[in-house]
Amino acid sequence: MLRVRLHGRGGQGIKTASQILGSAAFLAGHQAQDFPLYGAERRGAPIVAFARIDDAPILERGPIAIPDLLLIGDDTLLEDPQVAPACGADEWTTIFINTEQEALKLKDRLSLPGLPVVCSLGPLTRKHLGDPRILSVSLAAAGGRLSGRVSLDHLNEAIDIELGALGLDRQTLKKNQDLAAEVFAALSPAVFEERQEKPLVAGQLKVLEQQEVAQAAPLITATGNMQERKTGNWRVQHPVIDYGECNNCLICYARCPEGVIAADAEGKPVIDYDHCKGCLICAQECPRHAIRTLWERESHEQR
Amino acid sequence: MTLHSGEHKKIHDLHPEEAIAPGSALCAGCGGLEGIRLALKELGENVLIANAAGCFTLLSVFPFTPFKGSWLYTTMAAPVPAAQGVRDALDIRREAGRLAEEDDFQVMVVAGDGSSADMGLAPTSAAIHRHLDFLYFCYDNEAYGNTGFQLSGASPYGSATQTAPATAGHPAGAELGKKDLFEIWKAQNPPYIATVSPREPIDLSNKFARARGMKGARLFLCLSPCPTGWGFDPKETHTIAKLAVDTGIFPLKEYIDGQVVHTRVPKKRVPVENYLERQKRFRHLFEPTRQDEVIARIQQGVDSYWAHYE
Repeated sequence: MLRVRLHGRGGQGIKTASQILGSAAFLAGHQAQDFPLYGAERRGAPIVAFARIDDAPILERGPIAIPDLLLIGDDTLLEDPQVAPACGADEWTTIFINTEQEALKLKDRLSLPGLPVVCSLGPLTRKHLGDPRILSVSLAAAGGRLSGRVSLDHLNEAIDIELGALGLDRQTLKKNQDLAAEVFAALSPAVFEERQEKPLVAGQLKVLEQQEVAQAAPLITATGNMQERKTGNWRVQHPVIDYGECNNCLICYARCPEGVIAADAEGKPVIDYDHCKGCLICAQECPRHAIRTLWERESHEQR
Repeated sequence: MTLHSGEHKKIHDLHPEEAIAPGSALCAGCGGLEGIRLALKELGENVLIANAAGCFTLLSVFPFTPFKGSWLYTTMAAPVPAAQGVRDALDIRREAGRLAEEDDFQVMVVAGDGSSADMGLAPTSAAIHRHLDFLYFCYDNEAYGNTGFQLSGASPYGSATQTAPATAGHPAGAELGKKDLFEIWKAQNPPYIATVSPREPIDLSNKFARARGMKGARLFLCLSPCPTGWGFDPKETHTIAKLAVDTGIFPLKEYIDGQVVHTRVPKKRVPVENYLERQKRFRHLFEPTRQDEVIARIQQGVDSYWAHYE
């Protein structure tokens, strides 16, 4: 069985990528299973999806802890400890990362078990679809190609089915299929060797004892502790205030739904990047156009 | 936090402190979050929120809360009965001399349009009837947004939802009109009702400041542009909210002392299609073929509303 795990962000089409991959495998005559895993996540939040492909009936269910093929759609997630996209990858795992960074540097920096396959899907996606962030087809095509289990025809048919169901017109479907063809041609199938299963060792059984209601009830006594959750990792674009242009009108502060822009002692607006989700309302609403937007990668390079 | 007193006139009058901490899992660019953020700046910390299941479930996810005050989570139909229970308990303690006046707090129901217009409407009506002393904040994103944008009683005519998509048999999408909660509530003559927009923070703040000192059922309808469900870029939340007011689709008004007063009247109303065409949920009205009769009917609905007041 080929176990595939996909990582990305809400809105990038990660769930759809898993569906296209699953459908393509099914059309190629395999058994297939695909599903996303999300609860309270929203657009911009880290998302994970899965696919299983096999020739025998697939009886396994649930999330995939040890993937054979790992498809990481967004390299800003790589060093996020809450997401830990490479978690569970071992020496039998093929890791694909959508990035402009070099494979060897990534392997060393992130202590990956093997050299990842890297490819920057952004420029190809932008060329065909006009927006570098939509990964539904490019990531599915990368996964399909690396898996060696599907042909381009199967992939195109799956695109028709899955994206057609979302109401896309013929012309847009064609653009997506052109994109799939180009991604397909840019990669070659990976070699998947039989994984040597490590025996599972049972841990010590923990007996949970009954607690007093004051401890056991879902009470939160630290008010405002939601700020412990850093939503800054949702951001794909980064607002930057140009203080040369800014006249401290505080429209950005008034309009920010998250309340993450505050005036400092001099009355200047300051953005809390730990929590800014990158909606870019501030940049849109600034009357003096004094807020620029950078892609997260550009802003990392500037720091 | 000390509350602002007096009329708000400019952005600098908004309370500088945030009553909601960041970090919640609500979508980037959520119009409803902006609405309640501004509302709580006016109401302060002494508010207990009775929150109906819905998008705002995500505000407080155990073990985290963004609030400085208390938050009570209820089923979709039951935030108002929960508010009644809390209010009654507070009143009993007050009467028994076991709760000082300064330790008392306002009870505010926070509910989406599905809860407000559909499931929770009967208990709300009963509570207004009983003169329950509470605030009600409805974040209206015009569908059941949290579960994937299904049709609610507040979905407008001509919009596409997951359960009312535009199809060959139903080219308009949603064929029923939006329930007019303002009028439904008004029929029971509560002391205060207002519509508020996240794009109009001064108007919103003044309305909450006015209602803060009143007793009885005080209801706020906040049109909450939803990037995810309505289909627009998150940065356009305020653009859409502004167009809703400028087209006259969402009238900003309040009901006070038995009178309806419009607090922002668009001088010259922008055609509704400027509002519709920017949202994916109305795209079927323009592509592949333009549905002039549907657009005209939406425009006519707006015009006939304003004709009553012009």
